[in-house]
Amino acid sequence: MRFAFRALPAASGGALTPRPVVDIALEGLADAPMECLLDTGALRTRMSAELAPLAGIELSGALTEEFYVGGLKTIGALARINLTVTDGTDEFLWDAPVWFCDPWPHPFGLAGLEGFLYHFLVTIRAYDGYLDIEPRP
Amino acid sequence: MLTMTVSGHQYDLDTRGVEEALQGVLPEPIQEHFVVINGRRWPPKQVLALVTGLDRADFTTHQARRALTRLGFTAGRAASPRGYYRVRSSAATAQDPALSGSAGSPEPLVEALRPFVGLWVAVRGDEVLVAAPSAKEVVAWLARHHQRAQSMFRVADSEQAVVGAAPQ
Repeated sequence: MRFAFRALPAASGGALTPRPVVDIALEGLADAPMECLLDTGALRTRMSAELAPLAGIELSGALTEEFYVGGLKTIGALARINLTVTDGTDEFLWDAPVWFCDPWPHPFGLAGLEGFLYHFLVTIRAYDGYLDIEPRP
Repeated sequence: MLTMTVSGHQYDLDTRGVEEALQGVLPEPIQEHFVVINGRRWPPKQVLALVTGLDRADFTTHQARRALTRLGFTAGRAASPRGYYRVRSSAATAQDPALSGSAGSPEPLVEALRPFVGLWVAVRGDEVLVAAPSAKEVVAWLARHHQRAQSMFRVADSEQAVVGAAPQ
């Protein structure tokens, strides 16, 4: 399954450098897959806590941890849920830990080792502007 | 200010009045025809119904388009629904120099996203389905209009918002 790197508009005009992203749908939020930056340096898979209630995910009583992302201290609450990726033809579904974070000022989620990279063989072809993922055999 | 007759009723309409009537409203999905107002694409019938209070069954898309273009808004017709993003392959890069590297023509999605910096968006292919101040509003819009997005994210308002995300 292939995902094109995604570019965003730059404030000064033109475009920001395209980033490697995957669109990951939370169980209960299949119509709005969340753009997640592929982050090989991140242990966790993290998303904004505001997505949890939209997906019907209960976080009260969940395990939490404090950590820093981009210099900002935040608190993540753990939920184990089904995640899905699709390219419009194929679909992969897996069960994974996701940390829902508040505050989360970033415009995307982070797809890290736990939750994403442990589940797929990922080939990054930055020069060509895309990445391929295959489910772990 | 233009006086127009729609469905047997007379209305005095102007550009600013139309733009103000759309403040705080989200555009519905584009079926085929659209008009561009405040940098966004709107179904002509949705706009005319909002500014006149008429039921949409009282006029046609053609009448709505004509009324809005007379006010100076640009109208257009959407291509057939676009699918997922095209991915540049090595072969395509070799055959089309414009696709290689960061040079060449601007990415269509980048240009489509430009009016929505700072907002949450749902996209499919190169098309922005909806843009709103919160993820909750985007999700509600998708559910209300039975639409499925390819991706949802907030359009970063600075390079710093993108590059500053690496965990320490």
